[in-house]
Amino acid sequence: MSVRIWDGPSATLDDPQPPRMTRRSFLRGTTAAAGGLAALVAALNPLREFTQQDEFTLDQFLQKHYKEMTPEDMEKALARIRAEVEKRYGVRPHLRDVKPRAGVEFVYALNLSRCIGCRKCVYACVAENNQSRSPQIQYIRVIEMPRGTLDTEKGNHHYTHPKVPDINHFYMPVQCHQCANPPCVKVCPVEATWQEPDGITVIDYDWCIGCRYCEAACPYWARRFNFAQPDLAGDAINPDMSYLSNRPRPKGVMEKCHFCLHRTREGRLPACLEACPTGARKFGNVLDPNSEVAQILKTKRVFVLKEEVGTLPRFFYYFDERYPNSLDPEAVKIGQAIGCFPGSPAPEALA
Amino acid sequence: MIQYLTFLTRCFRLSFVGDWRYYLWMLFLSIVALLGLNAYCKQFVHGLATTGMTDQVSWGLYIANFTYLVGMAAAAVMLVIPVYIYRNRDLHNLVIFGELFAVAAIIMALLFVTVDLGRPERFHHLMLRFNFPISMLTWDVIVLNGYLLLNLHICGYLIYCAYCRRKPGKFFYYPFVFIAIAWAISIHTVTAFLYSGLGGRPFWNSAVIAPRFLASAFAAGPAFLILTLQVIRSTTDYTISDRALLTLRNIVTIAMTINMFLLGCEVFTEFYTDSAHVASAKYLFTGLGPHRGLVPWIWTAIGLNTVALLLLYLPVSRGLQFLNFACVMLIIGVWIEKGMGLIVPAFIPTPLGEIVEYIPTLNESLVSLGIWAFGLLVYTILVRVTVPVLFGRLSFDREYDPNALPEPLPH
Amino acid sequence: MLDEPGGIPESPFQRGAAAAWLIGPAFLILAAWLMLGSQRGDLPLAPAVLVASDQITPGARRDPMGEPPSVMSGGFKHACNECHRVFDSPTAQHRPMVQHTHITLKHGMNDNCFNCHNRENREKLVLYTGDLISFDQVPRLCSQCHGTVYRDWQRGTHGKTMGSWDAASGLQIRLECNDCHDPHAPAYPPIAPLPAPQTLRMGLQFPYGAHEHEHHVPLQEGAGRNRKPAAHPEKHE
Repeated sequence: MSVRIWDGPSATLDDPQPPRMTRRSFLRGTTAAAGGLAALVAALNPLREFTQQDEFTLDQFLQKHYKEMTPEDMEKALARIRAEVEKRYGVRPHLRDVKPRAGVEFVYALNLSRCIGCRKCVYACVAENNQSRSPQIQYIRVIEMPRGTLDTEKGNHHYTHPKVPDINHFYMPVQCHQCANPPCVKVCPVEATWQEPDGITVIDYDWCIGCRYCEAACPYWARRFNFAQPDLAGDAINPDMSYLSNRPRPKGVMEKCHFCLHRTREGRLPACLEACPTGARKFGNVLDPNSEVAQILKTKRVFVLKEEVGTLPRFFYYFDERYPNSLDPEAVKIGQAIGCFPGSPAPEALA
Repeated sequence: MIQYLTFLTRCFRLSFVGDWRYYLWMLFLSIVALLGLNAYCKQFVHGLATTGMTDQVSWGLYIANFTYLVGMAAAAVMLVIPVYIYRNRDLHNLVIFGELFAVAAIIMALLFVTVDLGRPERFHHLMLRFNFPISMLTWDVIVLNGYLLLNLHICGYLIYCAYCRRKPGKFFYYPFVFIAIAWAISIHTVTAFLYSGLGGRPFWNSAVIAPRFLASAFAAGPAFLILTLQVIRSTTDYTISDRALLTLRNIVTIAMTINMFLLGCEVFTEFYTDSAHVASAKYLFTGLGPHRGLVPWIWTAIGLNTVALLLLYLPVSRGLQFLNFACVMLIIGVWIEKGMGLIVPAFIPTPLGEIVEYIPTLNESLVSLGIWAFGLLVYTILVRVTVPVLFGRLSFDREYDPNALPEPLPH
Repeated sequence: MLDEPGGIPESPFQRGAAAAWLIGPAFLILAAWLMLGSQRGDLPLAPAVLVASDQITPGARRDPMGEPPSVMSGGFKHACNECHRVFDSPTAQHRPMVQHTHITLKHGMNDNCFNCHNRENREKLVLYTGDLISFDQVPRLCSQCHGTVYRDWQRGTHGKTMGSWDAASGLQIRLECNDCHDPHAPAYPPIAPLPAPQTLRMGLQFPYGAHEHEHHVPLQEGAGRNRKPAAHPEKHE
């Protein structure tokens, strides 16, 4: 006879009847149930720390998707966010929802001949956009590239020279490329991220479910996730905010560069551009033929990063003439030979 | 209706009845599941920073397990096809265990996706703005939930018919069985498309990912069933013939051969081409400079899979001891190969060339173990209830009677 | 283990009962352990990297000499001609400076003061043609040699623009040559970079390129086949 366990006898030898509720079995069942309940409650214990956080409000839970909000809904949402920001950071923000302008398509151009890798853009962006200081979130990565390649895999994100630029490298800042064919928008299951008419891909931080599929899809590593509650120093908060850009984000959602849309849609320039000490960064409306970016696209040799992935970035890189300068020992030698540098023999002497 | 509710109540009560091994096993699973729940509560409060994931490696253990479990769920079809298409007699009365396992596996897979979300409480946004058919993730939501419903219907219907001691109406489940066959293939294909559709991740952007997923799933799934069926056989008097297990062995052997072949194709294409895109594969197989986190894992997996496959080729594995040994190795090997070995390296280096390695944290591992424990708990209860019902020890006209002799089902 | 009737007293059921007795206490122990040992999951949050706000102030890189030009001497502001009306300057090209010693002239072959400054009127700049221009017309002066850059600057493709991206708004300020470049030493001196990224769980990162040592460097291969790239100055930091 085979061994039967689960279907084995469930009655004792003294009690050949099917199981009955005895006092002992009742006691046993009760202790088991009570123990189980206690363990369940204890397992849920960490949730008590939740009361300190006010990020789960009913208003936010019931809030509609950005595109479905009426002006009244938006006003309500903005009022809620203003109150939250004021409560948390003690700053009354100038928060609004800035809409795109008609006839404008934003494009960024970056002159790799001018960038010196000082990372001022990175920290200007952090300050402007209320990014989390801890854990650290930065939208811009400056990559130090060895000569002879444009493959970012050969670059270095963590250079710590006492002075930049280092003569053996050039510098390539990367941020969201605001692609015309954005893979991140394609993969989002809840349409929490989309492309606006002026070409900026935005995120509704109140709609994102935090699956990080867009982060996996982005070929430029431009998206960032709030792995913890962002920590902003209260006095460092930038009160100039808009709904789709730099208002403080909750934990568990994505964020990324939005071309400072709260500034640029009101005519101003992005913070990274204004902080750049070399004028390597150029921004404007590509539909205006006289804009700086249109001129660059027309007159310079521009390229985009990873063109082969077909994302059609609105972020262009270019090189232009660079005068040989005395920082470059090779250039000094050449310059001296042709008489371009002080202390070199006069051109007539060479001839 | 009343009868159906009585059925559910009786099943519920039955799930608390068992011998000491059953109690200890369920106690063990409950404790692990509760530890996982506790770990998840910590994650829910403090954010995903409690996991080892970063912006650089944004998917880890959770999505690896998810991928593996979708495969395990799809593998039920490897019992269904021989029975319903090839009329295999040996496997006929075992199909139900495969389908029940599919139910448990899908539940685990869905839980793994849920714990991976940063804002799980916004899950209803899926209902409100569903980016279908553009986002592959929405396809996955549909196919996974659809597969869960299909299997719940098929199993539930068959078990309820057995409970009522009546012959199941073919019209009520045959069409669903055939839909489920195609559907099983689709769940794993769609899951593969989640990855292979991303142009920015060359390591995944390969047409062979979907076939590889199916092959490895059809090896690991039946291997898992070979083991569980033996557990069922030794703990109940349900008849499970050795021939059935050997049929599964053949399936595992063929699927694993195809899987190894496809892995070889992938490795050849990556390394012979030696383009800039080989970095992730290099990280996986040889390490990039001082970064070698996955190298021991992938070679362990390849070692386990190779030895398992050789064992399966040899006649010794017609003996259950060697077969079980091969199955255990294969289940672990495939878990490493397509879980950690396929998800993590795609993020290393990042698209911008930065190398940040990924090590799961204790909290994250506890959540994962908890989900596995919960899934096995569900599977154990399902099997525990199903066996007596199939035997007629629990039916519409009588309460559970463990001493009743098995009655054949009306077929 | 076998369920034979009348078998040994230690039947599966009794052991089942014993196991069932275990469940309640086991859960209670688990509950106690969870309550006591319920620390926060490990959050390796690095301290915030803070940067002084003057490091990222928008605006021009330097303060150029305005119109009219002046120098500070002894705490007083003096117009150029206050001295230069009295003292004549020699014409020699390369001579040590007695005054204005803070000026280092590093402007390539443009190494004669009077290429740009007017010898007679120091409060004016002089063009190649001999025409005098004021200190706020610097681009005209520079354009004499740097024609292509001047052309780019006019188009807006060289240099820095402040204010608005929209020229039609009238709020656009295009910085001029000497807002960024020191006319005596126009090349930018190197500056200290702001701190490197320190993201979550980034771990130890190498301050030099991860693969730099293994890739092909055409510049150095010219000097010798298969020569290793020269050691980087920072490599051993």
